[in-house]
Amino acid sequence: MTETKKFDFKAWVKAHAMDLAAYGGLVVCIIIFTIFPPFFGENLWSAAKLSTLMSSVIVTALLSVGAVFIYSMGCMDISVGGQVGLYATIIVVMGNKTGSLIPGILLSLVIALVIGVVNGATGQLLHIYPIISSVVFMMILNGLRSIIYNGLGTRSVTLSGAEYRMFRSPVLMLVVLVVEFLIVSFLFNYTKLGKNAKAIGANPTAAEQSGIHPILYRVLPYLVFACCVVAASVFQMGYTGSASDSTGTGFEMNVMVALILGGMPLSGGMRSKVSKAVVGAFTFSLLEVGLPLIGVPSNMTFFVKAVIFIIVVLITCRKQSGTLPR
Amino acid sequence: MSGETIIEIRHMHKAFGPTIALKDVDFTLHRGEIRGLIGENGSGKSTIMSIASGMQKATSGEMTYLGRPWHPNTMVEAQDAGISMILQEANTIPGVTVAENIFAGHETEFSKLGIISMGKMYKAADQVLDKFGIGHIKARDSIDHYTFEDRKLIEIARCVTDDTQILVVDETTTALSLEGREILYKLVHKLADEGKGVVFISHDMDEILEQCTDLTVLRDGDIVGTLTREEMDAPDAVQRIRYLMVGREIGEKYYREDYDPSCQDEVALEYDHVTFGGIKDFSLKLHKGEIVGLGGLSGCGMHEIGRAAYGLEKLESGRVLRGGKPVTGPLNAIQSGIGYISKNRDTEALILEAAIQENIVLPSLTALSRHGYISPRDEKKMADKEIDSFRIKCNNGGQWVNTLSGGNKQKVSFGKWTAKGSEVIIMDCPTRGVDIGVKQAMYALIEQMKKDGKAILMVSEELAELIGMVDRLIIMKDFEVTKEFTRSPDLKQTDIIEYMI
Repeated sequence: MTETKKFDFKAWVKAHAMDLAAYGGLVVCIIIFTIFPPFFGENLWSAAKLSTLMSSVIVTALLSVGAVFIYSMGCMDISVGGQVGLYATIIVVMGNKTGSLIPGILLSLVIALVIGVVNGATGQLLHIYPIISSVVFMMILNGLRSIIYNGLGTRSVTLSGAEYRMFRSPVLMLVVLVVEFLIVSFLFNYTKLGKNAKAIGANPTAAEQSGIHPILYRVLPYLVFACCVVAASVFQMGYTGSASDSTGTGFEMNVMVALILGGMPLSGGMRSKVSKAVVGAFTFSLLEVGLPLIGVPSNMTFFVKAVIFIIVVLITCRKQSGTLPR
Repeated sequence: MSGETIIEIRHMHKAFGPTIALKDVDFTLHRGEIRGLIGENGSGKSTIMSIASGMQKATSGEMTYLGRPWHPNTMVEAQDAGISMILQEANTIPGVTVAENIFAGHETEFSKLGIISMGKMYKAADQVLDKFGIGHIKARDSIDHYTFEDRKLIEIARCVTDDTQILVVDETTTALSLEGREILYKLVHKLADEGKGVVFISHDMDEILEQCTDLTVLRDGDIVGTLTREEMDAPDAVQRIRYLMVGREIGEKYYREDYDPSCQDEVALEYDHVTFGGIKDFSLKLHKGEIVGLGGLSGCGMHEIGRAAYGLEKLESGRVLRGGKPVTGPLNAIQSGIGYISKNRDTEALILEAAIQENIVLPSLTALSRHGYISPRDEKKMADKEIDSFRIKCNNGGQWVNTLSGGNKQKVSFGKWTAKGSEVIIMDCPTRGVDIGVKQAMYALIEQMKKDGKAILMVSEELAELIGMVDRLIIMKDFEVTKEFTRSPDLKQTDIIEYMI
């Protein structure tokens, strides 16, 4: 190939349409929520609002970053919400009993890893869609939660036995998020773990014929995700120091929406990137925090989000066609 | 009416971004012609007819069909107007009956008040199947019961109607066995005799020389030559066509030139009384530095034998041994130095939606990782080495495999295993859909592998390449070995065919 390559702007835009839309969406959100709130006497960049934003971002971002591993294989985990709810409850209850958060966190981690192994392995062993086992877990976890709260005779539990206020610090949130992002990015981009997950998402048959263990490398990503879910649960619990029978509800959808807003392909494969989870989580939370600031009534935010979601999906998820000469 | 123009294409130009597929091409097809189109991968031979049959649009240029300007928007529109194209890939609808496939889009012909009479449709479909000489296929059966080859024949039955004026056959014969090919050839000649036009796109030079009345050669989006039947019969025709296609003298050397079937004594791979599926008690010893060929018709069980060596088949009894240890699955096979190139290049051998580099390094990730860390620089080095040594036509290793032509894709799947340094390579139809220039390079590569002491099991439907390349040739029929030949200059295709059918 001797022909000189000229920088083709159009081709570049076409090739990066998904990234452009995702980053563009975030930038547009930031601009809009910087310019307009002052007209309503609000300011996104005030310490109070930034703290709200961070607490809104943190749980979705921690979950989404881990979920990249699952989504890159073309899988989904619907049990996320149920898991967060259960772990938050366990951490609070055991914190009150033992006076420390550690036992609760460890127990949660063990449960999360077990769920991860089952979610990762059953698809391949029983020849079902991996999402099915996560649906089963969603139902089991919801059942478990209602048994626990029935047994406690209350609808929410508050942590009083252990110190948790550090988890409300935006600085700690940011640090943990950065650390998780770096670890997951490393695993995803520079180890077999991530490369194999992407290959499985892009073409499971070819992946297996290239020597990727079909069960092991489907399970390991779920274990990475399990750790991220527990981290997210700690912050979910820590923000209010409590857990209730509705904690975590709908989180699995938040994760999915965040990833889609970030430009993550739902079919997985080589276009998967960890950064997309962060971009998506910030866009998602900016909308959550920002829309009320520009006078959108809180009961209207869902409709606005729906419109934005549709626009992003139309730009990012449409099939890119075009065949080269044969 | 023979000789009258059916379609005329003038100044056709087609670009895919910066890649130019066709440059100012003029092409005319007359009644009664069987026009061969030949050229290397990416020369634009499929592109011309895919534009005429509505699959894609030209960047510029004019087409005149039956005397009128022609601008098809879809393949259905083109087919209704009489231009049918049979594609390389499978194009049937899974999960429904054969009849529903044949009459897809034409169900209303059998409906009354919105209710389709399936009885009528089955009857009509059976008639169509009989007409094409493929009566062994039954209209009522689900299409999933049929093999890839039968589905291809069903596709042909669907494409060709009484109104068909132009039939385009795009690399279809690579999917067909001898019988299937005969059916197709008969149909092509019948259409030509009826004064229709046929465009025959193929890589197989023998087939083109036997079947076509005229031949157009393309190179890099340009028509570089047109041969009449007389010119095709000239003794130096093959050399001349090859020269036109490649644009340089590729020399006489094509297959192996030595006839020395010797190899090392060490056994590299052994089938020890293997039984599974239709295969009963198959044994074979493959030695280092040996090329063993497996030939036969497509459904004879040879592909399954190849898969078994890679642990992809569940054995009922017996073992496949590598270095004394049984092969249990792909992972274990790769670790013991076996590489496998599937005949289903796009669905099994490669990840199309991934970069060339990602494909090449995939089996070698374990070797590349140091304490778990895989350096992008090492990955690039490994991939670039293969890209260079195979001369894979691409901008860089980051280019996606689905943008490559068939031959270049195949080079990538070879590159995976040379990068891994596999000692035993099982290649299933290694040159399927690959053009001469690349074929020649691959044969040279396979010969080099033999010299390097690698053991090669070559499963192929092309007798010519088996005769040309292998030390030992095993012929199979109905899951049984019928004959074994040793490399010899006297070995002829005709001697072999009787053991295949």
